[in-house]
Amino acid sequence: MTFQEMNPTIKFMTVTLLMFGLAFMYNPWTPLAVFIGTLILQILFSNVNWKRWGLFMVPFLFTALGTLWTTLVFGKETSGEVMFTLFGNDVTVENVILAATLSLRVLAFTALSLLFTLTTDPKRFVYSLMQQGKLSPKIAYSVFVGFRFFPILKHELMQLYETHALRGVRLETRLDHIRHVPNLIIPLLAGSIRQAERIAFSMEARGFTGEPRATYEVVAITRNDFLLASLLIVLFGVSVWIGI
Amino acid sequence: MLKSWKLKEIVLLAILSVVFAVVYLAFVHVGNLWAGLIGPIAYEWIFGIWFIVSIIAAYIIRRPGAAFLSEVLAATIEMMIGNAIGPRIILVGIIQGLGAEAAFAVTSYKRYDLWVLMLAGFGAAATSFAYTYVMGGLAALSPTYVATMFALRATSGMIIAGLGGKILSDLLLRTGALEGYAIARQGRVHG
Repeated sequence: MTFQEMNPTIKFMTVTLLMFGLAFMYNPWTPLAVFIGTLILQILFSNVNWKRWGLFMVPFLFTALGTLWTTLVFGKETSGEVMFTLFGNDVTVENVILAATLSLRVLAFTALSLLFTLTTDPKRFVYSLMQQGKLSPKIAYSVFVGFRFFPILKHELMQLYETHALRGVRLETRLDHIRHVPNLIIPLLAGSIRQAERIAFSMEARGFTGEPRATYEVVAITRNDFLLASLLIVLFGVSVWIGI
Repeated sequence: MLKSWKLKEIVLLAILSVVFAVVYLAFVHVGNLWAGLIGPIAYEWIFGIWFIVSIIAAYIIRRPGAAFLSEVLAATIEMMIGNAIGPRIILVGIIQGLGAEAAFAVTSYKRYDLWVLMLAGFGAAATSFAYTYVMGGLAALSPTYVATMFALRATSGMIIAGLGGKILSDLLLRTGALEGYAIARQGRVHG
């Protein structure tokens, strides 16, 4: 029973539900408990590359810090005992509690997001959305086309750099390359649009009609999916209780 | 809704979403670092970037749903290629897409002038701000600060997404790559 095997649609719905619930909690303990609880569940029921986890987490530490001090400096006026003054703004106990809540909320959101993102295979997610979520196959297969498009896009970008260099654009350092990006957007997009048209023709030529179809890979719903979903919901319930 | 769409229009929608998902993700990282320094307001003035695919897709394909679907797809792809905002980003995409779509629905999908595109940018800014207000707990901030945030986001939506989206699409039209789509037919009617 792991989060990797969990049905992606159910996982998606549960995680979103928890995040929505968190938005209505205004005490620092609930988001903190959700953050820690999510970590524990992730340790128990998935094998995650923690280095990757950390890399994803770092930018959100910045956001959490930004949220913390914005809420302190630009917080709304509240009555109550003034603890200290920050850039001319009187900070009350209530302000501090709010600031802590909002920045911990950023961290809890991120932990929940990573629980989903790092354990979900995109292809399975799209299959599951098509099979359980009644997503139109036309859209689903267009998303698959989109995925296959990444290497094509990269290849085309390299080609554009080379042709522009041949015509005398100075492209030596990495900075030169980055500076040249605005000149590449239009040709890159135009090329992609032409490719899209060709891909659509070949899909039609191979008989793709967009009707519901038989699939090779079936993403089922099992009892474990409900177990994992209830674990997350219980975690939320306990966190709310801690906050009271 | 999708019955009347040609397959090539849907594939175009998906490709545009992929390209802009990469752009969106790049700007999330720009915004994040910024946000550590000057707080959540860092995102506001560049927020229009995250609405642009709606305007471009609707302007090129001109079908009901183009603005909404492109934004949702871009958000989904952004999540899959590694946006740690995770599943929440799809929700954001749905909400922003609805805001942009509303502007085209109000004009019964008949007008694609600059002001409609800018209205779409404004619509996306309005709905996305309502979402930020709830999820980001903006009620905790002073009303003046919140109003400033909204004014910045709305302006950004109208200029970057509305005006920027139109300029980009018109440049693409000039390359001839859009010959098979509604935008090219419209151009011919007006000469």
